[in-house]
Amino acid sequence: MNGAISFSEINDKIIESTIEIFTGMVMMEISVAGEPLAKLGPLKNSITGMVGLAGVQKGVLAVHFPKQLALDVTGSFLGMDVEEINADVQDAIGEIANMLGGNLKTILSDRGKDIQLSLPSTIYGEEYAFSSQAEVDQVILPFQAPSGLFYVEIELER
Amino acid sequence: MENILINAMLEVFSSMIFIDITAEPAEKDGTAAMEYNLVSLIGLAGDLKGILAIQCPGAVAMGITSAMLGMEVTELGGDVKDAIGEIANMVAGGLKEGLIPAGKKIELAIPTTVIGTSVRTSGLSGASRVMIPFTCPLGRFGIELRYILS
Repeated sequence: MNGAISFSEINDKIIESTIEIFTGMVMMEISVAGEPLAKLGPLKNSITGMVGLAGVQKGVLAVHFPKQLALDVTGSFLGMDVEEINADVQDAIGEIANMLGGNLKTILSDRGKDIQLSLPSTIYGEEYAFSSQAEVDQVILPFQAPSGLFYVEIELER
Repeated sequence: MENILINAMLEVFSSMIFIDITAEPAEKDGTAAMEYNLVSLIGLAGDLKGILAIQCPGAVAMGITSAMLGMEVTELGGDVKDAIGEIANMVAGGLKEGLIPAGKKIELAIPTTVIGTSVRTSGLSGASRVMIPFTCPLGRFGIELRYILS
């Protein structure tokens, strides 16, 4: 499915939409931090927002933030001070995953009609590894924000 | 909804894992998030948008995997990830089938597994939530569904 779309094309568009979401909605300047990665080690003291893609193309889009950056992103996004991972942070990080998932859906299908998104979910913990089950093609895009690095991960079922 | 989930889980355990499990009363909104070593999540889209999660302490996840594969599994690694992710996938499949009589059509995403220490998951604050704890000789584990029905 969608064999015509290459990851390099997806990467470019997702990088573009990530920067757009951050400058336009989160109000935070970010930049690409190097080449896409194939794998990510365990995440430490982090929060992950994820959303599933179902329909003609199944997959997952996830965005991984270290805790301090997640607090800063939420603060900037919602215009409030946050000091702990609470429901506001979970909603903000889930919403960023949701927006990126919506963009990925549009990239993968002409009008986004044959792919549907699940609800977003967040995962957080002291240390965790995040991996998919199915046979997937995977890419991880690193970004630099003022208070740390974060990663946008795309996994598409083959 | 609870019954569909419980039946799907019992079906998976009786056909593939051969461990007796018992469902406890479902917990609804307001329950504090528990911490786990392993969570397998799968997204659901369509008439029901949601996320289904199987949450296990490490020992229970390894025990279930050992029973499923018929060999001793002592590491919280790839085998456990595959086994519990597959259970999440099958329970989600059971939910999909169980909703057909109600005229609700859903599609599944792919299962993702998180392994770590003190892992917590949460959904959007507006979604409904149902959490069903199960007990088995290995300990307790749970299945959680956060969803919005259209």
